Amino acid sequence: MKLKWAKIAVLLVMAACAAVAGFLFHEQRVYREAVAASPHLTQVKKLSDYSPAIKGTVNDCNVYVFDSGVPGGTALLIGGTHAEEPVALVSALVFTENLKVTQGRVFVIHRVNTSASTNTRLGEAYPRFFHVEAPWGVQKWRMGDRVANPLDSWPDPEVYIHYPSGQNLAYMDIRNLNRNWPGKADGLLTERTTFAAMELIRQEGVDLTIDFHEAELEYPVENTIVAHERGNEVAAMTSMMLTSQTFRVPIGMEFSPKALHGLSHREVGDHSDAVSYLFEVAEPMLDRIRGITDEELLMSGKDRFVMKAGEHNLLYAPIDESGWPFDLRIARHVTTAQTLIQVNNMLHPDQAILMEGIPSYQDILDQGTGAFLRDPAAAPPEQVYYD
Amino acid sequence: MTMFTHSLLILVVIAAVFALAKKLKLMTELAMLLSAVAAVVAHLLLPKGADPRSPLPFLEIIRHLVEGSMTYLDVCLIFLSATFFMTLYKEAGGVAFIVRGIVKAFHARRFVCLLLLTFIMLVPGAITGSGATTVLTVGALVGAVLKVMGVSENRRVALVFLLAAMSAACPPINLWAMMAAAGANMPYVGFEAPLALLAIAGALFSTYYLAGRGKPVDLEKALAELPEAPAGWRGWKAALPFLVLILLVAAGRIWPFSFPVVGLPLVFMLSSLATVLVSPVKPKVFQVAATTVKNLLGLVGIMIVVGVLNQVMTLTGARGLLSLAVVTLPIAVLFATLWLILPVSEGVLQYAVAPLFGVPLIMLFNMLGFNPVVSLSAWAVMWPVGDCLPPTAIVGRAAVMELDYKGSYYGGFIRAALVPMLFILAISTAAMIFSNDLAGLLGG
Repeated sequence: MKLKWAKIAVLLVMAACAAVAGFLFHEQRVYREAVAASPHLTQVKKLSDYSPAIKGTVNDCNVYVFDSGVPGGTALLIGGTHAEEPVALVSALVFTENLKVTQGRVFVIHRVNTSASTNTRLGEAYPRFFHVEAPWGVQKWRMGDRVANPLDSWPDPEVYIHYPSGQNLAYMDIRNLNRNWPGKADGLLTERTTFAAMELIRQEGVDLTIDFHEAELEYPVENTIVAHERGNEVAAMTSMMLTSQTFRVPIGMEFSPKALHGLSHREVGDHSDAVSYLFEVAEPMLDRIRGITDEELLMSGKDRFVMKAGEHNLLYAPIDESGWPFDLRIARHVTTAQTLIQVNNMLHPDQAILMEGIPSYQDILDQGTGAFLRDPAAAPPEQVYYD
Repeated sequence: MTMFTHSLLILVVIAAVFALAKKLKLMTELAMLLSAVAAVVAHLLLPKGADPRSPLPFLEIIRHLVEGSMTYLDVCLIFLSATFFMTLYKEAGGVAFIVRGIVKAFHARRFVCLLLLTFIMLVPGAITGSGATTVLTVGALVGAVLKVMGVSENRRVALVFLLAAMSAACPPINLWAMMAAAGANMPYVGFEAPLALLAIAGALFSTYYLAGRGKPVDLEKALAELPEAPAGWRGWKAALPFLVLILLVAAGRIWPFSFPVVGLPLVFMLSSLATVLVSPVKPKVFQVAATTVKNLLGLVGIMIVVGVLNQVMTLTGARGLLSLAVVTLPIAVLFATLWLILPVSEGVLQYAVAPLFGVPLIMLFNMLGFNPVVSLSAWAVMWPVGDCLPPTAIVGRAAVMELDYKGSYYGGFIRAALVPMLFILAISTAAMIFSNDLAGLLGG
């Protein structure tokens, strides 16, 4: 009899835990991220406007369009490829909330793999949300997984065979957006998402794409611009300018490997007229050798275990007591994007894009990212959107 | 107190609570769950070092525990569906029919028969990446044939385990290599040759070391001892459920861009349906399903709890400390100890060890000038050897269950498996040390 009651008690405790966790999972999945767009925003489209392949899915994200009306080049800024790399999202957002384009066009996506942001990465003990303090209050976003939520794309194949190259990849990479370019109209969710993004690039005649990322310090492709071969010159000059004039820690430039398929820097360039770039910046929270995992680590970028690995020369990026704070990571991405577009303007005047309103590297470091985020509650309702 | 001390104390708490719970005769699953909960409590109570930390609300702790429990949900579904299929097949008399057929055909040709059994064992794990799937699908069948061939109980279970471990290591699907490669952003390319070389060498050595010698099979006696298959079984009927399984898996490879993703759990359920359709007797489907779940509760339970423990160790920094400790070892010490560290860590964390140790090790070996593909292949063959080690011992426990082994786990089973295990670990260590030479030989 005692055992029976003990079993009932255990069952009730487990049910209560499941209910609590279920509520929290649901809260993350349905949380709406407010965007107070720049007054100079021209239009907000949906990714499905370019392909019905993702119509009605969670990945039918907003595409923020800044069209100057003056002939020039077209750029696409992509955030949210890996939702566990939040600087990619917020860097894109800094553009959407501040940008004014006076020549050419800029398209911005914050959450290209929205599905990945609706759950956290199993086993990695991530926080569900992260916060940035702004002068008007606190802005909150979802902290997600590297790959799409299995609730949106399941089951995975036993092995993921990339389309069209036929390259074998780990099964969960079928949900990793940056292993699914150039996509497939009748594929699984991430394949359809990249297909729709490729359609955007082709239909809008995009000249250059920038895919924002973050990387662990143990990873050799770090603090760098990875460029398709057609963008080597622009990337090299950008890297030289920023390293010599602006950044304390240099930014490198790498060639996109021809044998590694599914990544934006390879496939976008191969399957469209756009030149594809991918930016990486150091994020210690992604390192497996990190210590305590919490939002503080995500925002400060400071970890004693990672620093210890640095003492053993096991890292590809330097780290010291100052860590890799969120604002520094944002500042690097925003500045690298601006500089790369300026260099592209110089080398390809027919693709000129002139931008105003974007904070400088020093502005972001001095005032913090929050200073360049607009208050959705105070913004005119017609300028507020939700991702 | 520094963060290092904090995370070290968390590890001490985990070990102490686990040992205490085991001393109090609690099940391994409960002991691990208690140690995970104790680790969270210790994390809340102990100072966390000089750097500021975020608060950890009570509800978020519950979320972490539940989230961790989902880590291996896919693997659990595969275990359940694969075991359901094989139990149903056994219940229908299919296993008895096949075993009798193999014994009749190969009783006089031991070498060929063992080669065939090795192949049968390698296929399921090679295509699914799971040693447990191998044991749960063909382990009982192969074990029955080995019994007829006069292989002792200890050696039977040891061989079934070792072949299952090597099947998981065998290409094309090696989950440890795939997960570590994915974590290091390496394409899963070039792994076939080193993985096949090491896994097949390990499998063949295990087979002929453990079962190579024995008296000739007395066919009449053997057939008299084996259970009779129900009348009505035919070769094509016995093959059909496996054909469904092979075709559905193979179709995904042959036509990857047009064939729908079925998923292994559904593949096994469709194979089960084929079994019901061809079986000359009507198997008790719901009873088999209930028995399957009951038999697998321990196995599934351990996978759930390992996920919880992994999440808690990550949250508290204990996982990072272990990972850091391994990669900061001097290279000579690494060479001398990885053969032990990798299987032991597999016993604790299962597939989670691949990104945990694999990714930093790839970076380290790459930096030191070793061939990362061959090195990772060598580790990916060493990891599954640890699937018979506590606390999880997933494949070992599955082999014991499928073969209805009654002997001593360590004194009988593990002892019998020891020499082949050391052989596999030795050739893998050699491959790691001479990874550049091996890569040259294999054209890498």
